[in-house]
Amino acid sequence: MTTIQQPRILGAGVDRVDGPLKVTGQARYPNDVNLPGMAYAAVVRSTIPSGRITRIDTTAAGKSPGVLEVITHENADHLGEAPATFIKNPQPPLQDDVIRYYGQYVAVVVADTQQNATAAAGLIEVDYDRHEAILDPHDPRAERIKDPWGEDTAWGDVRTALKRAPVMIDQTYTTSENTNNPLGLFTTLASWDGDTLTLHDSNQWPNMIQQVVAAMFGLPRDAVRVLTPFVGGGFGAGLRCWSHIPLAVMAARHVGRPVKLELTRPEMFTGLGHRTSSINWIRLGATRDGRLTAIEHESLTTLPLDGDEYEPCSSVSTWSYASPNVTARDQQVRLNIPWTNFMRAPGDAQGNFALESAIDELAWEVGLDPLEIRLLNYAEVDPKTGRPWSSNALRQCLEVGAQRFGWSNRNPEIGSMRDGHELVGYGVAGVSFFWYQQPCSATVIVRGDGSAYIRSAVTDIGTGTYTIMAQLAAGLLGLEVDQVEMQLGDSSMPVGTAAGGSGLTAALGSAVHDACGRLIKKFVELAGTDPFSPLADVPFGDVEVSEGRLFRKGEPTRGESLARILAVHGLTELSAESTSTPNSADQMGMTPAGARGARFVEVRVDEDLGRVRVARIVTVNDGGRILNEKLARSQILGGTVGGVGMALFEDTVTDKDTGRIANATFGDYLIPVNADIPDVHVEFVGEPDAFNPIGVKGVGEIGLVGVAAAIANGIFHATGKRMRSLPITMDAVMD
Amino acid sequence: MTTLTVNGTEYPLDLADPRVTLLDALRDRLDLTGTKKGCDQGACGACTVLCDGRRILSCLTLAAQCDGREITTIEGLESHPMQDAFVRHDAFQCGYCTSGQIMSAVALLGENRAGTDADIREYMSGNLCRCGAYSNIVAAVREVARHA
Amino acid sequence: MREFRYERPATVAEAIRAVAHDPEADFLAGGTTEVDLMKDGVFHPDLLVDITRLPLRGVRRNGTMLQVGALTTMEELAADRTLMERAPFVVEALLRGASVQLRNMATIGGNLLQRTRCRYFRDPAVPACNKREPGTGCEAVNSVARMHAILGASPACIALHASDVAVPLSALDAVVHIQSEEGERLVPLTQFYLMPGETPDRENVLRHGELITAVDIPLPPEGTRSIYLKIRDRASYEFALASAAVAVIMDGPVIKEARVAMGGVGTIPWRGFEAEEVLREAPATPDTFRSAADGTIRDPFVVPGTAFKVELAKRTLIRALTEVTS
Repeated sequence: MTTIQQPRILGAGVDRVDGPLKVTGQARYPNDVNLPGMAYAAVVRSTIPSGRITRIDTTAAGKSPGVLEVITHENADHLGEAPATFIKNPQPPLQDDVIRYYGQYVAVVVADTQQNATAAAGLIEVDYDRHEAILDPHDPRAERIKDPWGEDTAWGDVRTALKRAPVMIDQTYTTSENTNNPLGLFTTLASWDGDTLTLHDSNQWPNMIQQVVAAMFGLPRDAVRVLTPFVGGGFGAGLRCWSHIPLAVMAARHVGRPVKLELTRPEMFTGLGHRTSSINWIRLGATRDGRLTAIEHESLTTLPLDGDEYEPCSSVSTWSYASPNVTARDQQVRLNIPWTNFMRAPGDAQGNFALESAIDELAWEVGLDPLEIRLLNYAEVDPKTGRPWSSNALRQCLEVGAQRFGWSNRNPEIGSMRDGHELVGYGVAGVSFFWYQQPCSATVIVRGDGSAYIRSAVTDIGTGTYTIMAQLAAGLLGLEVDQVEMQLGDSSMPVGTAAGGSGLTAALGSAVHDACGRLIKKFVELAGTDPFSPLADVPFGDVEVSEGRLFRKGEPTRGESLARILAVHGLTELSAESTSTPNSADQMGMTPAGARGARFVEVRVDEDLGRVRVARIVTVNDGGRILNEKLARSQILGGTVGGVGMALFEDTVTDKDTGRIANATFGDYLIPVNADIPDVHVEFVGEPDAFNPIGVKGVGEIGLVGVAAAIANGIFHATGKRMRSLPITMDAVMD
Repeated sequence: MTTLTVNGTEYPLDLADPRVTLLDALRDRLDLTGTKKGCDQGACGACTVLCDGRRILSCLTLAAQCDGREITTIEGLESHPMQDAFVRHDAFQCGYCTSGQIMSAVALLGENRAGTDADIREYMSGNLCRCGAYSNIVAAVREVARHA
Repeated sequence: MREFRYERPATVAEAIRAVAHDPEADFLAGGTTEVDLMKDGVFHPDLLVDITRLPLRGVRRNGTMLQVGALTTMEELAADRTLMERAPFVVEALLRGASVQLRNMATIGGNLLQRTRCRYFRDPAVPACNKREPGTGCEAVNSVARMHAILGASPACIALHASDVAVPLSALDAVVHIQSEEGERLVPLTQFYLMPGETPDRENVLRHGELITAVDIPLPPEGTRSIYLKIRDRASYEFALASAAVAVIMDGPVIKEARVAMGGVGTIPWRGFEAEEVLREAPATPDTFRSAADGTIRDPFVVPGTAFKVELAKRTLIRALTEVTS
């Protein structure tokens, strides 16, 4: 009764419940909140990548119209250490005169209007003692960190296997820095009331912000309340407590008024982290018929001077294909750059591009269809441990995708498919994605009128959490979806986890699932104490729930409504809380497979100009149980668009001498526009996953992964040119 | 005093500081926060509003330039079929670019440019969507255009 | 953005007077460059004279000429039927520029004066920019430059002129009407822009207090074929990496007359006089087109990031010529 018995896809067509608020402009994002007496902040950023501040002159700014306060390292509050939360958070800003990267905050100005704050910020003069910066990953002076997470993996004997392999691919693949760039400008509106603090803040994890801010300002956690009912996207950018947040809090304390600090678009490039560039060295050994005998994958990614980042690129090579010999190693190098950080499918996105390009090269080398080589090397079990997968429909993804795409129409000869000036190429990539689940709590409450609500301090960054949790609980409580309300985005709710790592649906859904079970049990027990209840002597296991009523299995008339049970006992509501924790692979005796997928892409390459257009995409994914196909499809579509961006456009360019990001605007950092995106066919395959009780795998990130490789592989089919560096621009494709 | 006419209502506005853009006036002075700021540099379309029926970017328009003009924001749409179509086609995710997308899409209908999918894509390209809802936006616009 | 005063005079004369008598005053039309660069801290006028409601808006046919009021928006001009029939490449260039929202704001006069997209020019935190601060050098030359000029460029400045519509207008020998307190003067567009040389801060012949009031577009003879081909990374809403505006009058397989200009490559809209010489009375063949392209893209100044543009620009022109003559 308290397990999901619904079909694979639940609520295929349910519209987003927060949709009406969003299409009428009524959804309030953090920067939409205006408080009485509110002042505005503007930041000043360093214009050198490394050194010390020797002088900072705020005289003119202080006298500028409307200015209430100017804070620099000379008058900033001394703040406490920022605790790590899964990963490190930046240490408090303005605590010393040291500059670690171009764009670091060196001052904040508070004024009565945004216009006055911004103008005054422009009047602050800073002199620096500039030190030599390390900006090139290959700089021998740079600190290198080997095996940064203790996750380097090896089995078999790769060296010998490569030596003996009849066929070998040995190539280097690089990817550029990308910037998350959610459309919503990250904003913190800080408001003190005595010793308690309220933040309207853009993030993906309110309890993390709460914990870090409380620690920095020496407050008990419950003195800090973080509100994030809506956020204008994140894609990973909201998973750390960035420095503008304590700046806003400090500023509000200084002026004794609420202070709104809204980052500008250029500040979004330096203030919220970005996807690291990567260098991937891959060696594949194989038999002449294309069977993998060895995979060696090493990666190098970047770190800021004082941060960390969990971003393994090589690990995709440990769970994607069967190989008796595998080595996967990562290294990081510290540079004077703004923080690297999670961005949609961190590590996986870059590692997959490398691996799936190399697999494609192998297919051409041995003369095998690129689809066939992936099917041939399918890993029936976890190649590392030999354990069974919790579920793995990669094969089905490839087969169904090939059929939908019309892969059989492909003429294997390079450059053989042409349409006028355009060379047509078909590309394929497989995707094996990992995901992360953390503990998460939720409370489910049934009200006296029989409706219900769920509370958990999570966020809905556009993934559909508001909707799918209402659906999930409605199904489990026997209610209609519109009778259940998901309440979230408030740190005072039951402790929620991050909307990140594609793990929220599993984490929160498992908690909601369990809480619903407990709640029904409470109802049954309550009914049991009422001798007149038709459920009085019905054992819990024999109770079913439907249309807001509990009844005895097989006897729909023998039961009563949740509302009536509450009324009989004089209760206004009844609640149950639960905390989910991820299952252990050892205990389960299986490896959580994560989502799997296949990408099929038709590219068109102008033979003279080298211009690449993506003509159509088929993306098939195994996301386990899909809770809402409409919304899950949107996640995949969105990931696909991100993948096109990564493949063809996105490149955060850093000036080699100064470390300044040279293209920190939407006019210069190109993301796909509507006209870049062709027809995309999205399909889900697979079965509910065995690793968590609700059978989901999470589909927030996988859509992006594999798109770049499929495009690059398609370009090779069209032109015979192997693109091993992202983004792929026409200058690289042109002869 | 400048008078700003937004969604049919006249708002007297003290623009002693002419730096205030139409976007900032809407959001900070009139609390009409449905219009969003995504770049403040004319490069993303999130701040799209209608001025005398034409779509413009409110972030590069000074509020002082708008007196006597009729400004329409997302709050001024009265159950436009485009809004409903956006919900049904799931033409957004985080929802932040949505006001601008819808204002652009409504203007597009008036421009008679929604004849083909290619046209919709081209003439909606001034509105970035980082969540990547483009295909669903095209579907929503197409549907409303066909029934218009 | 620094504080400024805002005025909206009722007449052209008053507007010109207001700017002419204040060395720190600027005209404000569509605002898509002016307001943007004020926010970036590149422009800081103390007075903005709003000209958007002056009677300088609309398109009039005058014999073989279209007279376009300087405040006509890009969208309004793109909707002009005569232009669509007689010089469709101007309409194509208009519609491939910016987005509809920006085209509803941006005016023709303003478009001709739009400033470069060079991020070294647009970021005052970059100390070296001869265009922004004469004599300070050029940071872009030593940096990652892709969207930059290869023609008319030098170590002093490689900033690109980003206008699309100015490219076919240059090809058509459009004429700019310039009004000042002294009266009106007419300047052909091909003489309107200044090569950067050692003074990249001076982009055109306008003096302070002069206002563009109209642009005359000579209509090419009936039967003229034209094309504007714009090459960029994205499919839309992006400036050109290379663009070609070509108009030809054909006589069977032979090109009788040709007009050529290129965008995305020059510090100014680049008129291809040499290409026109090559094309005139020449057969429409790949060889002809290649010589025309070689003639246009001559003596380029490249940095590592822009080297590819030399061949890209040539092929863009060749493609445009191929399509317009076939």
